[in-house]
Amino acid sequence: MSGPEVHSLSPSPITSHAFNGDRSLLAVSLNSNDVTIYSRQGKEWEVTDTLSEHDKLITSIDWAPNSNRIVTASQDRNAYVWQESQDTLTGKVVWKPTLVLLRVNRAATFVKWSPNEDKFAVATGARAIAICSYDSENNWWVSRHLKKPIRSTVLSVDWHPNNVLLAAGSADMKARVFSAYIKDVDSRPPPSVWGERLPFNTVCGEYSSPSGGWVHAVGFSPSGDVLAFASHDSSISIVYPGGPAIYTIKLNSLPYVTLAWTAEDSLVAAGHDCQPIAFSGSAGGWQLVGTLDDTSSSKSSGGTRGFGGVGSGVGRLNSAAFHTFRQADSRGSGSPTSATGSGGTDTELLTVHQNTITSIRPFSGSADRVAQVSTTGVDGRLVIWNVNNVVELTGKMGALRVQ
Amino acid sequence: MSHTVDIPQSLKDSLRKFRFARRNAGSAAIVVRVNKQKLIMEEVETFDDISPEDLADELPENSPRYVLLSYELVHPDGRKSFPLVLVNWAPPSSEMGLLTLHASAILDFQTTADVAKVIDVRDGPDGLTKQAIDAQLL
Repeated sequence: MSGPEVHSLSPSPITSHAFNGDRSLLAVSLNSNDVTIYSRQGKEWEVTDTLSEHDKLITSIDWAPNSNRIVTASQDRNAYVWQESQDTLTGKVVWKPTLVLLRVNRAATFVKWSPNEDKFAVATGARAIAICSYDSENNWWVSRHLKKPIRSTVLSVDWHPNNVLLAAGSADMKARVFSAYIKDVDSRPPPSVWGERLPFNTVCGEYSSPSGGWVHAVGFSPSGDVLAFASHDSSISIVYPGGPAIYTIKLNSLPYVTLAWTAEDSLVAAGHDCQPIAFSGSAGGWQLVGTLDDTSSSKSSGGTRGFGGVGSGVGRLNSAAFHTFRQADSRGSGSPTSATGSGGTDTELLTVHQNTITSIRPFSGSADRVAQVSTTGVDGRLVIWNVNNVVELTGKMGALRVQ
Repeated sequence: MSHTVDIPQSLKDSLRKFRFARRNAGSAAIVVRVNKQKLIMEEVETFDDISPEDLADELPENSPRYVLLSYELVHPDGRKSFPLVLVNWAPPSSEMGLLTLHASAILDFQTTADVAKVIDVRDGPDGLTKQAIDAQLL
C-alpha cells in the first residue's frame, strides 16, 4: 500500500485533527465551534459524535493516547478537557467537558498534551503560553503562564520527551525552548543538552531564521536533543544546542506551517505548498530529500482522486463523467469538459491536497521510526501518507499546474 | 453580619495562643485554610522563625490561605517590634469558588483574630517578600 489514503471529510476547511491511541477514532474541527468525532468503519470515516461547548472557533485539538482525554482550545479564550464516561440514563458513552480557565484575554491558538499526559500547554494570542495541570486538592485545572520574553502571539508548541521542556514558535519571529516545570506535577528532570536546574519560565534557548519571519511550527526530535522549526521565510531550521550549529534549509517554495519528526534524522514538513516534503540529515548537515506526494502518478484516469477512500479505477462511481459532475457539485466549477487526461478542470492542483495543509501528525510506527503520517488541510481532506514513499522533487516547483 | 464560613472554637484558641506566645526571634506564622465542603476554617500548619521568602515557598500556589504573621519588624531607628499582620494569600490561579468563599470570610477572620493590618498578596510567591511587607508596615 504505497499510495496515500485520501478521505474527503468535508467541504469546509479542517482546522485541526487528532487521532486516538489506536487510530480508530478521529477528532476534527471543521472550522466551527464543535468537535466532530469520526470513527473508522471499514475504509471510510463516519461521523459518530459532535462535542459542543465552545462559543467560538476551535483552533486546536489534541488527543492523549493513554489517558484517552481530548483537550480543545478555542478563540473563546478557554480550553476544555473532555473525558469519556458512561451516561447513567442511556448507557451510551458520552464525552463530558471540564472547563479550564486559561486566564488570558486573547484567543488560544494551539494545544498539546505533555508526554506523560498530566499537563498540557496552550499557545495563546495573549503573548503567553498557559501550562495547565490538574490540582486534585481543589478538583480544578490550574494554569500558569510562560510570559517573558514572548512579544507576540504564540503559534505552536511542542513538548520535549522529558515532560518539562517546551518549544514554542511565535509571531515575534523566534523559536524558544522554555522550562515548564510544575512543582507538584514533575519530578526533577535529569540534565539534558538544554540545561539543568530549570525553574519554571527559564528560557533555555532562543532561535530565529536568517531572514526572520513568523515561526509557524516547532518540533523536538524523538530523543529531544534536536529542535526543528519552520518559519515564514520559507525555511526549515534545525538546531543542535550542544554543537553550536543551526542548519537552515532555504526553499523556493511557499512557507511550511506544520512539521513532524519521523525519525531522529528525518522529518516531514507541509504547508502552503500543499504537499508533504521530507528532509533528512544529522549533526553534520541537513538537506531536502523529496516529496511524499507522487504527483506524477497517473492522473489520466480522471476519477481516481475522488471522494471517499482508497479505491481506484474500477467501478461505475469512478468514471470520468461521474467525476466531472461531482466536481461541478462540490466546487461549482466547470462544465463537463472533455476528458483531457489531466484529471479534471484547470483549477485542480496536481497534488493530492487541493489547498494548504494545516496539520501533520505521526500516524503509525514508533516515535523514532514513524511509518505513516496523517495530514489535514484547508481543502477538507484527510490524507494518510507512507513516509518511505519519497519521490524526488523535480523541476515542477510543487503545486504549480503544468499548463 | 452574615457568616459564610464558621470558625470553630479550637481555631480561636489556637489563634489566641499564637498571639500571646513568647518568641525569641524571627517571624512566626500560622496558616489557616477554608474547607469548602464543610464550610469551616481549619488550621493547616504553624511555622516558627521563618523568613517571608521561605513562607512563600511553603504556601500552595493554587489555593487561597489566611496567614497570621507575627513579623519581626526592624524600624529605621533600630527598634525591633513584632506586629501581628494578616496576609491574604490569594493566588490568581486558585479555583474560582474557593477564592470567592475565601474573600467573603476574611473580614470575619480578621475580627476573630483581632488583627489591625491586612496585607494582600495576590500574585503568588513573588509578592511575599521582606521588602513588600516592610513597605506596608513602615
